[in-house]
Amino acid sequence: MVDQLPNRGLEAEMLEAMGLNSIDDLFSDVPVHVRMTEDLPLRAPQTEEEIIADARRLLGANVPLGSMSSFVGAGLYRNHVPAAVFQLVTRGEFLTAYTPYQAEVSQGMLQAMWEFQTLISELVGLPVANLSVYDGSSAAAEALTCAVRVHGRKASQSGVVYVSELVPPDRQSVIHNYTQGGGIEVRPLRHTSEGLVDLEALHEAAGACAVYVEQPNPLGLLDAGLLGMKDVLGEHTALIVGVNPVSLGLYEAPGHYGADIVVGEGQPFGSPMTGGGPIYGFFACDTAYMRQMPGRIVGRTVDVDGDTAYCLTLSTREQHIRRHRATSNLCTNETLIALMGAMHMSLLGPEGLRTLAVRNAAALEAVKRALGGIDGLRPVHAGGVHFNEFAVALPASAAACIRDLEADGVLPGFDLGRWSPERSNQLLIAATDQTSQRDIDRLASALAAWCARQGVAA
Amino acid sequence: MTNLWSHKGAEGMGYAQPAPLLHEDDLPLASGLLRSSLPRWPRLSEPEMVRHYTGLSRKNFGIDTGFYPLGSCTMKHNPRVNEVIAQMPGICDVHPHQPEHHLQGLLSIFHEMQHMLSVCAGMDEVTLQPVAGAQGEFTAVRCIQEYFRHRGEAQRTRIVVPDSAHGTNPASAAMAGFEIVEVPSTTDGRIDLDALEAVLDDTIAAMMITNPNTLGLFETDIAAAAELVHGVGGQMYYDGANFNAIIGRTSPGLMGFDAVHYNLHKTFSQPHGGGGPGSGPIGVKSHLAPFLPGPVVDVRAPRDGEKAVDDGRWYVWREPEHSIGKVQQWHGNAGAVVRCWAFYRRYGRELRTMTEHAVLNANYLRHAIHREAKEAGVDHLFVDGAVTDVAKHEFTLSMLPAKEATGVTAMDIAKGLLDRGYMAPTVYFPLVVPECLMIEPTETEAKSTLDAFAKDFVAVVGADADTLHAAPITTPVRRVDEVYAARNLCVRVPDEEL
Repeated sequence: MVDQLPNRGLEAEMLEAMGLNSIDDLFSDVPVHVRMTEDLPLRAPQTEEEIIADARRLLGANVPLGSMSSFVGAGLYRNHVPAAVFQLVTRGEFLTAYTPYQAEVSQGMLQAMWEFQTLISELVGLPVANLSVYDGSSAAAEALTCAVRVHGRKASQSGVVYVSELVPPDRQSVIHNYTQGGGIEVRPLRHTSEGLVDLEALHEAAGACAVYVEQPNPLGLLDAGLLGMKDVLGEHTALIVGVNPVSLGLYEAPGHYGADIVVGEGQPFGSPMTGGGPIYGFFACDTAYMRQMPGRIVGRTVDVDGDTAYCLTLSTREQHIRRHRATSNLCTNETLIALMGAMHMSLLGPEGLRTLAVRNAAALEAVKRALGGIDGLRPVHAGGVHFNEFAVALPASAAACIRDLEADGVLPGFDLGRWSPERSNQLLIAATDQTSQRDIDRLASALAAWCARQGVAA
Repeated sequence: MTNLWSHKGAEGMGYAQPAPLLHEDDLPLASGLLRSSLPRWPRLSEPEMVRHYTGLSRKNFGIDTGFYPLGSCTMKHNPRVNEVIAQMPGICDVHPHQPEHHLQGLLSIFHEMQHMLSVCAGMDEVTLQPVAGAQGEFTAVRCIQEYFRHRGEAQRTRIVVPDSAHGTNPASAAMAGFEIVEVPSTTDGRIDLDALEAVLDDTIAAMMITNPNTLGLFETDIAAAAELVHGVGGQMYYDGANFNAIIGRTSPGLMGFDAVHYNLHKTFSQPHGGGGPGSGPIGVKSHLAPFLPGPVVDVRAPRDGEKAVDDGRWYVWREPEHSIGKVQQWHGNAGAVVRCWAFYRRYGRELRTMTEHAVLNANYLRHAIHREAKEAGVDHLFVDGAVTDVAKHEFTLSMLPAKEATGVTAMDIAKGLLDRGYMAPTVYFPLVVPECLMIEPTETEAKSTLDAFAKDFVAVVGADADTLHAAPITTPVRRVDEVYAARNLCVRVPDEEL
């Protein structure tokens, strides 16, 4: 029996009060020819205890990354979310609220999101941030369509945007789906063999509506070439930078080197990887883009007594008012996960952010050093400075390496062949603040033995 | 008014972290790119942070706080075991790039959810990838778009949307590049078949519609509408926002729909978290299935050495043949899917009972409000948004008579309800009902709550106009000035207050 229905057993009494005889009377308006007459062919209801037992069995059969020495990243990263975040975010007043349409009884979430907007604004160095989009990919896609709305008229390459050719195919696919409807042409922005933006090729993009690049880029490389990009692109081409937010504890905020829009996967702040969602994307921009941006924004205001209050604002951009002329169809977003992000950021503080970035950089450098002496391994971009991850070329396929190292309890990285076939011998190895020296030692010894075996086989 | 920045901790305040594996001086950093100044984030200790957010939570209203009759949003109780399950390492600590054999339990849950959602909606295949209802709408119209391109019918560039539709319908279709053809509804928000027929031709790709409609009424002509749209070669799209009203009683498939999105955060109780996360899977008939975003989960027999989590079943990712690609980079909101799986397991085939109680409660509340209003002599101050014998899971009231009699608006009533400890109903939607209040109690409200709300609602309606114009007075702030917010934009802590 389902135990979630308070009016079980009261049906007859309630029907009688309405002058009805049966539940069927409530569905008398459903035409006979579309009625479902049989029971749903589904299983019987379960109790809480049975559900927990099945959840333990099924989810227990998954392999959590914490049970291995894992070096897989490629866009989502293992992190530590402080315990207080989980305790607070499951408070029912946050967890079970809807979008704050009635501001008077939603001041808590509204203020928390206004603070979130400030945390993101400070982090990326731009004046405006919304209260989240679905993820880093839709954030990038929405940034491109936003830039076309702003620059479509004045840009000499109207309707054209450039996207870094290193952006992974899954993300490119999201961008394609979001931009194709607007007739936007997405052209690849070329990179050099060192994995950095080709500054010669960048001149082609001047006059397009937007250029999208990532810092660090999808191969983990930090690219100082981005510092001069806005000067090349000019005022009618938006510079959109996708960032790993943790890296901003060490490296310059893109808003300080000319980025017009900064987006990214907020996940490292506040959210476990959760199989890829729910996570949250952040979206920040210059004021020139504010009225064309997607999503919900909280503003500070006053109530009738003149006391400070908060409410959703700039709503005339949104679908419930502007309908098909809205800047985006975004309605449900990732508020609660953004709240987790805000809680995590507030507990880090500025110096804690820097420490976290240093820990991430140190873990990756420790990995590089441990792998440095292994015969048969070669860093793909030996001269580059990386954050969170770097690519290595293997003596055989990355897929085989990942398969073979499982016996050692090691997940050595991400198979770059899944992004492009010519990289099928390359691993993208990620390290974060959660990577231990023991993990690194296990990776090094397993990889050394594996490479040696490939040498024998060859 | 305090905020995070009111806490003035010393430099370095925050949670302590382990030492880096290597000393900072020993790291090769990108020297030209180093950050010139750290973000001006607040500095506070855990005790202060916990009290800050606890304080904020006390200024927020959730289902846990009280009755939340927000029409169209299906604010039902969120079973707590779902939260416990969603924190298990087998979902929290897994990465979507892990190999299939690491994720068999998750794939089993995905497969079961794909199956259950197909069955309930009368569809053939389901993808769980879209992360919100609006993204589901967008995904479905993209599939329809590619389906027609594939068939050489690229001239189908227009989508029909009733004027009573949710705003996301036209917004999603426009994002995919469609032109919107808005058709007027009848006065009860139902389809006007003549108006529909008048706009149909071979440039129409689809019609997007929800049933029951946004007034909570079942579209009795839905099959006829589907026949008209199919007659010109178009597709029928079902907006699943109101799915809670029909499960086990009818289905989009039976009504003639080709595609549907589900709002797992409504029907299947993913907690809405003050605005999200959600989850917006879509289901389609077989002719649209090759265009779904990939991957979807398939099942086959296990091979040698494969340790199956369910007897004889090995789960694999499969890329649909003509997939539109991805709308979310990973596998959708997997954590939300797991919560909703736990919710589904609680009901099983009794999802039908869930729907019946949702409709029972809505109709009971509607009757109770009218009965109490009559007894109190205030029944002349509002009317039904639509004349009907039965509503489905929600119903509308028009406060127009009150506005004309005393100047009290739907918004005044909403604010008056806040003073009585309730969340307000949805106001001013759908637009076809003047001074509209849209009320959806859901199946998880007790009769005693509905009785109390009916009495309190009537008391608010009967209150004097000055009291209602001044409401709310018991809330953390009083009526908020949204115009001031728009005219004096302040979307972050100003520099001088940091």
